[in-house]
Amino acid sequence: MLLTFLPSTSFQPLLANVHSYASELLKEGNLSFLTNSLLVAAVVVGIILWFSSKATKNMSLIPHKAQNFFEFVVEFLYGQVEGIVGAKIAPRVFPLLATIFIYILVSNWFGLLPGIGTIGWGEGTGFMSVKEIHDPLLRPPTADLNMTFGLSVSMFLVWLYVTIKEVGVIGFLKHTFGAKGGLKGLMGAMVALVFLFVGVIEVFSIVFRPVTLSFRLFGNVLAGENVLHTMSGMGGFIGSVLAPFPFYFMELLVGLLQAIVFTLLSAVYIQLSTTHDDDHGHEEAHH
Amino acid sequence: MDQITGIAHQIASDFGLAWGKFFAQVIIFILVYSILKKYAFGPVVAMLEQRRQRIADGEAKLEKIARDAAEAKQNSQAILDKAEADAARLVKEADDAAKLIQERRQQEAVSSANTIIAKAREAAQLEQEQLMSQLKREFGRMVSDATSRVTGKVLNTEDQTRINQETSAQVSA
Repeated sequence: MLLTFLPSTSFQPLLANVHSYASELLKEGNLSFLTNSLLVAAVVVGIILWFSSKATKNMSLIPHKAQNFFEFVVEFLYGQVEGIVGAKIAPRVFPLLATIFIYILVSNWFGLLPGIGTIGWGEGTGFMSVKEIHDPLLRPPTADLNMTFGLSVSMFLVWLYVTIKEVGVIGFLKHTFGAKGGLKGLMGAMVALVFLFVGVIEVFSIVFRPVTLSFRLFGNVLAGENVLHTMSGMGGFIGSVLAPFPFYFMELLVGLLQAIVFTLLSAVYIQLSTTHDDDHGHEEAHH
Repeated sequence: MDQITGIAHQIASDFGLAWGKFFAQVIIFILVYSILKKYAFGPVVAMLEQRRQRIADGEAKLEKIARDAAEAKQNSQAILDKAEADAARLVKEADDAAKLIQERRQQEAVSSANTIIAKAREAAQLEQEQLMSQLKREFGRMVSDATSRVTGKVLNTEDQTRINQETSAQVSA
C-alpha cells in the first residue's frame, strides 16, 4: 500500500526539489559514505567541541562568559533529565541525552544558515550559476535519515543497557509481560493473558521506537528545508528574501522543539523501563 | 514478509539509508559524545557541584556568623547592663559619700564658727574688762585729781583708795 501511495503523491510543481537523501560527495571508490550531511555533521561536531573546549578551559568558581553559558545549558538539561529519569539514573544517562540535545539543536539551526542546501552542483546556466541544485555541497545532518536513525539506534542500545543493568533481564520481562494488580484465580489468569498480549504489543512499540524517533526528526527537518527552499524560489529576488523570512523563525522553533522532543522521549523511555514495579506499588499506595 | 522486506528496501532506497553512511554518522556521534562526556560534562557537573557545595558552606558560615553576632550582641548587652548598674551604684555611693562629707564639713564649720565666736566673746569680754578697769583707774585718778584741785588738799593714799573704790562702784553701777 505504501509502495503504491508514495509514487502517486507528488508535490513537484509546488515544492522545491529537495532530495530526501544526502548526496555523496565522492561517488567513486570506497568513500561513498562521505556525504554532504556527514560533512556538515563534522563541522557541527567541530563547533560543539570548539565551544565546549572554550567553555571548560580555565574553569573557575567565578565563571567566564563561555563557561557561564555552558554551565547554564548543562544545569538546565541536568535538571530536566533528573526530573524525568530520577536522581539515581540521571548521572548515567545525562551525558548521552545532553549530547543528543546539543547535537540535534546545533545541527538543526546550522541547517538554517545561508548556503546550506543552496550551494552545490546542478545544470549550469552561466558562470557560477545553476538552474537547480541537484547535489548540494552542504545538507543539515538531521535531514539525513542515516544520522537520525544512527542517533535513535545509539539511544536504543543505551536504553537497553541501562534497563538491563537497572532491573535485569528477568525484571525487564516481568515488567513487560507480568500481570499487575495482584488478582488470583480465574480472574488472575485472564488478566495475565491480557498483560501477556499487552507485553507483545509493548515489544513491538519498543522495537519501533528508533524508527519513530528517527523519522519524526528527519521528517520535520526535511519538511522545513523544503518549505524554506520553496519560499526562496518565489517571486524573484525580493520575494526570495521576504517570503522565507517568517519561516526562518518557525524553523528556529521547530529545530529547538525537535531537539527537545527527541531528548525528552528518550528520557521518558528510560524512565518507563527503569522504574521498579515496587516503586509503582509504593506510589500507588501513597496515592 | 517479502512485502515488508520490500517496503524496507524501498524506504532505504528512497531515503538513502546505507550501512556505510549509517556507521559514519554513528561514529561521528560516538566521537562527540565521548569527548563531551569526558572533557565537558564531567568537569562542568563537578564545577556545579563544587559551587553548590561552596554556596552551602557559605550559607552555613553565614548562619553561624549571624548566630555568633546575636550571641555577641546579647553578651555585650549584658555587659552594658552590668556596667550601667555598677555605674549607677557607684554614682549613688559617691553621692552618699559626698553628702556625708558635706554634712561633716558643715558640722565642723559650725563648730569652728561657734568656737571662734566664743573665743571672740571671751576676748571682747576680757578687753571690756580691761578697758573698764583702765577706765575706773583713769576715772578714779581724774576724780582724785579733781578732788585735790577742788579741795586744795593733797590726798593721801587712803583717800585716793577710797575715792577710787567709790568711783569704781559708781562707774560699775
